[in-house]
Amino acid sequence: MIHRGPMKHVSLFIPCLVDLFLPEIGEATARVLRRLGVEPLYHEAQTCCGQPAMNAGYRDQARNAAKHFIDVFGGDDIIVSPSGSCVCMVKHHYPLLLCDEPVWLRRAEEVSERIFELSQYIVDVLGIEDVGASFQGTVTYHESCHILRGLGVSDQPKRLIQKADGATFVPLPFAEMCCGFGGEFAENYHYISEEMVKEKVENYLESGADLLVLCEPGCLLNIGGYLSRNHPEKKALHIASFLAGTERGG
Amino acid sequence: MEIRTTIFNEVAEREIRNPYARLFLKAMPAVIAKRRTVVMGSFPDPVAAQACGQSIRAEVVARLPDLLEQFERNALERGAKILWARDAREACEMVLALAKERDVSYVTKGKSMVTEEMGLNDALADSGIEPFETDLGEFIAQQLRRPPFHIVGPAINVPVEEVRDLFMEKIGMEKPTTDPVELGYAARLFLRDKFHHAALGVTGVNMAVAETGTIINLENEGNIRFNKASPRTQISIMSIEKVVPTMADAMHLIRLLSRNCTGQAISAYVSMDSGPKGAGEIDGPEELFIIIVDNGRSRIYADPVAREALRCIRCGGCLNLCPVYTKIGGYPYGWAYSGPMGQVLTPLLLGLDRTQDLYRACTLCGACREVCPAGVDHPSIFLYYRSKDVEGDRGLRGKRRPWWESRLFGLWGRAAAHSALWNLGVRVARPLVNRYSRGGVISRMGGFFQGWFRSRNLPVMAEETFHERWRRLRDEISAGGPKGEA
Repeated sequence: MIHRGPMKHVSLFIPCLVDLFLPEIGEATARVLRRLGVEPLYHEAQTCCGQPAMNAGYRDQARNAAKHFIDVFGGDDIIVSPSGSCVCMVKHHYPLLLCDEPVWLRRAEEVSERIFELSQYIVDVLGIEDVGASFQGTVTYHESCHILRGLGVSDQPKRLIQKADGATFVPLPFAEMCCGFGGEFAENYHYISEEMVKEKVENYLESGADLLVLCEPGCLLNIGGYLSRNHPEKKALHIASFLAGTERGG
Repeated sequence: MEIRTTIFNEVAEREIRNPYARLFLKAMPAVIAKRRTVVMGSFPDPVAAQACGQSIRAEVVARLPDLLEQFERNALERGAKILWARDAREACEMVLALAKERDVSYVTKGKSMVTEEMGLNDALADSGIEPFETDLGEFIAQQLRRPPFHIVGPAINVPVEEVRDLFMEKIGMEKPTTDPVELGYAARLFLRDKFHHAALGVTGVNMAVAETGTIINLENEGNIRFNKASPRTQISIMSIEKVVPTMADAMHLIRLLSRNCTGQAISAYVSMDSGPKGAGEIDGPEELFIIIVDNGRSRIYADPVAREALRCIRCGGCLNLCPVYTKIGGYPYGWAYSGPMGQVLTPLLLGLDRTQDLYRACTLCGACREVCPAGVDHPSIFLYYRSKDVEGDRGLRGKRRPWWESRLFGLWGRAAAHSALWNLGVRVARPLVNRYSRGGVISRMGGFFQGWFRSRNLPVMAEETFHERWRRLRDEISAGGPKGEA
């Protein structure tokens, strides 16, 4: 799995939520990769992975997005994204969406083998755990559903956190419980979503950690948005920002 | 049973504010789900054990017609009578006819979800035959005229004081008490009398073994065994997917079902009936009827994705970990089946049009799929239902979405495939969104996204998106040399 060569190149997939609302996460992703000796590329023609349409049931539209994505990223050896749910979309749903179109299906399968969530790429592919990050204080980690259950990624981000200079990892109670984002769920079933994010934040407070780190922009909008309204003194941070040391909570 | 699936939000918003139920629901992941994990650990290889259960259920779905015929042959050979019911109404009529032929005034019942689905209790009561639920929780729910709150604990949300008052009023409990043992004893006295004189017992079926024609029930109270052993006539009702290929398969599923249902290695009672009482046997019913209920399932079977819902073995393991169920409880799901299990089954049986919220009120977190011993992929099935609803699929009775939503996604789809259009959209949206910014944070947006903004803020849209800042960033980090800033 480890790619050797003079200079590694990876193609960045910057999810639309990051692009539009949290571009500093994209920037941090690029900086961390660069610090690890990897040259990030960015295709300016990229848009969205199609997840919102897929989740809402609009498969034709999701398929359009999928084909565009495959056209844009089809030539890349490695694609890295600071979002597990987008990676899941590409990995698990593209082959499903394109199962009736053999040529597209083959291309979808190729792309799906080459895309990685950021922490997964750093730990599993690059084989690096100490990225030269530092944070003075206790840190806990929220296990985003698509990263934990969709990609089976859980140890990787925690190892990266533990290796950060000055950081002490503390467990988050019910870390694997969904934070209640779910895209349109957070709006349409806000009264349930609100209870879920409230519980997540209560568990964060109970953990006693100074900082909550996570790998999913959607969860960050949700948890960060709730913190910003109700506990402005507490912060949630994307792993890329944490590793880059370019702190800014959601 | 009254169908209340269309008022999901109304009931859920009420139930989420029910502090008593919430107390219990909050403990579920910590207590029940945790116990499941511990007891699953008693398998030499829990992952393999779960995978084995999943493959058994996959086989069941793949070979369903064959297995049902095999089951029928073997059950007939053992002296059972098999009745095939096309739908709920036909199944109810069969029970009514058998009850009337035997001139019974009441029937005793073991807890059975398919009879809830059929609305059997109402059908019996309407014909002047009184049904008595004999599972304690189901008995309480029935006396309170409430639907089951949880598949395993139908009345687990009912405060003990309410049970006390109910028993004083309805079953002649002599002195008021909130002692669980005494309450249980009062119910027992009442129900023992019913069992004693019962001529007809009705039960569900957990598994029907094709290889042997045996029906199997799991329980913890002994009431199902009473229902099967005490009356002269036994009617056991199963939906078509309850069949399993072999006795060995059934043994494995019993171990999985018990662990996922109640966190037990095995339930307190497991009873198996291969036909009615034989010559020389001392107990069992003189006649055994097995009603096999379709109720829309064969229609589903034609759909290769939707049919996977038929893997479900009704353990309820998915409820105990569901972040939505553990906030709102069982009532909002509006029918016999609640939680992820219900969200998968109910839309198939009632149609996508009447169950919109069931497959949408989900974050797709996948906790249900992860524990499911039958291999149901709930999130994928929900996504499938959503897409069939958008398409207005006839077979599954999709409803189609509001016109403005379809338009919006149509436009979105075009933009997602054309970056110039996409970026234009970003530039148009930004000032519209950011005019609500107060100090770099948005805490309301007029009438838009009111649900979100009730409890959360949103960062402003970036004055410079990643896309817009990329070239500068690239030049900056490239200039830093191969090691960048480190």
